[in-house]
Amino acid sequence: MSMAAQTFGGQRSVNLGFAVLIIALYIFLLVPVVTIVGASLTDGLMIEFPPRGLSLRWYQEFFARQDLVDGLLMSLRIGAITAVVTSTVAMMAALAGQGLSGRLSGLFQLGMTLPLLVPELLTAVGLLFFLYKIELGKTVTGLQFGHILMSFPYAYVSISAALRQVPPSLEEASASLGATGWQTFRLVILPLVMPGLAMGAIFAFINSFDLYTISLLLKPLGGNTLPLALFDFLTYEFKPTAAAAATISILLSIGGVALVQKLVGLQRAF
Amino acid sequence: MIRSKKLTWALALPALALIFVFMILPITNMVEMSFRTPGSSEPFGEDYTWMHYTRILGDGYYWGVLRRSLYTAGIVTLLCLVVSYPIAWHLSRAKGFKAVFLYACIASPLMTGVLVRNFGWMIVAALNGPLNESLIALGIIERPLRLLFTQSLVILALVHVFVPFMVLPINNALRNIPQSLTEASASMGASRYQVFRDIILPLSFPGIQPGVILVYVLAVAAYVTPALLGGQMVSYMPTLIIGELTGTFQWPFGSALAIVLSFSTVLVVVLFTRLTWKLNERARA
Repeated sequence: MSMAAQTFGGQRSVNLGFAVLIIALYIFLLVPVVTIVGASLTDGLMIEFPPRGLSLRWYQEFFARQDLVDGLLMSLRIGAITAVVTSTVAMMAALAGQGLSGRLSGLFQLGMTLPLLVPELLTAVGLLFFLYKIELGKTVTGLQFGHILMSFPYAYVSISAALRQVPPSLEEASASLGATGWQTFRLVILPLVMPGLAMGAIFAFINSFDLYTISLLLKPLGGNTLPLALFDFLTYEFKPTAAAAATISILLSIGGVALVQKLVGLQRAF
Repeated sequence: MIRSKKLTWALALPALALIFVFMILPITNMVEMSFRTPGSSEPFGEDYTWMHYTRILGDGYYWGVLRRSLYTAGIVTLLCLVVSYPIAWHLSRAKGFKAVFLYACIASPLMTGVLVRNFGWMIVAALNGPLNESLIALGIIERPLRLLFTQSLVILALVHVFVPFMVLPINNALRNIPQSLTEASASMGASRYQVFRDIILPLSFPGIQPGVILVYVLAVAAYVTPALLGGQMVSYMPTLIIGELTGTFQWPFGSALAIVLSFSTVLVVVLFTRLTWKLNERARA
């Protein structure tokens, strides 16, 4: 065998090995989600994968459980308010951030993404004391503020990325034609950043829907979000209803990601 | 950009207020709380004291838990890097629809809650679950292993949680390496391994470093995974802290634990940054 052929053979086995490794790693990433969806469709009485027969009975069971449904409704409500508030505040902040330059701009960016960089646990502990002090402890309003804070960076990053794509010349042209600042924003900038704005709102919603630690510490009296209700359910009853609940939240996330993909394309989203 | 200073600050105000009032103030509050005396009817007392810190630092138990937390997060970060690097490399080479699909695979764990994913691992690692069954089918083990409520499962689940946080910065760094550079060195006779070791790895370091720091900081303070998958036998700092705050209502002591944990994490990160400073400089040059 010639030298060249030998190297070629070596290359091929390296390529094959790499392909196997990559496939294994992607399987690793997807395993828990696939398992849950599979387990939720079982017809049997236990959480197991592969499922024993197929049925939707555990989804029926889920919607018959008041505590879980209440959790779902509360999560949806908090998530919706979070999406609206964070995307509005983040839109304003992104416009402001665009006007800054140099070190101030970097510092501003850092400040706006702080809730993502500091561990959730610390923010949650701090908020627990702070909300108690301002008499919002154990209230839905307090929890709502926590979710808005934790989801804000997602909205900010998406919206400011979209805003960077708008050429400054457009704004200048609009102003030179006599448009007021508000008109320029509403008629020129807003339509152009709309996909980014929608993406920010969706990511903020998904993030809020999935938050656990902060909800645990700021848990309002008599109220549970879906993840909290699910954790309690898992500790006391280990039934496929939990898999159905988890699948519902996975479907919400997939729906959100699909929507983002439709609006902007995922590659630009990260 | 034609925008007055006044307008800029007016637009920034709500966001700045949000971050300041609901994040900076509360964390400052936590520092203050850690010096409060324990309360009898309230969760904290009126006076100030050092006692919580002396109690933590004087007790071998807390040192042990702290060491376990810092060490486990280190293992998680290292494994996460090993798992994420090939994925990031593969992702950085993908184009078009394939790239979108791969992004979706990586983003999908990021977009499903930590609790949901941990629950998935509970099913996978059950005594008669798919993991044990496939290991038996492959002839690697003879009887099912007890995986649930072990430290290994906590580590596995944490790696899974943080892979996207590592993949995305490394992918960005890899995308910035001009393809001509690797092609040039390959055409001059460098083997694949040499190209990787001498060009790709050093140049991707600006992505590795922030990924490692972010994952480490988040892994040290992860609460849900050890609480759900770790069982009752082993304590980590976050489970201990939440236990003090919600179980026994010892707010000052819980805060002191949180601050000791944060301070140690910062120390580790500073040490890491100093040790790897040279590598980063080399990549920039």
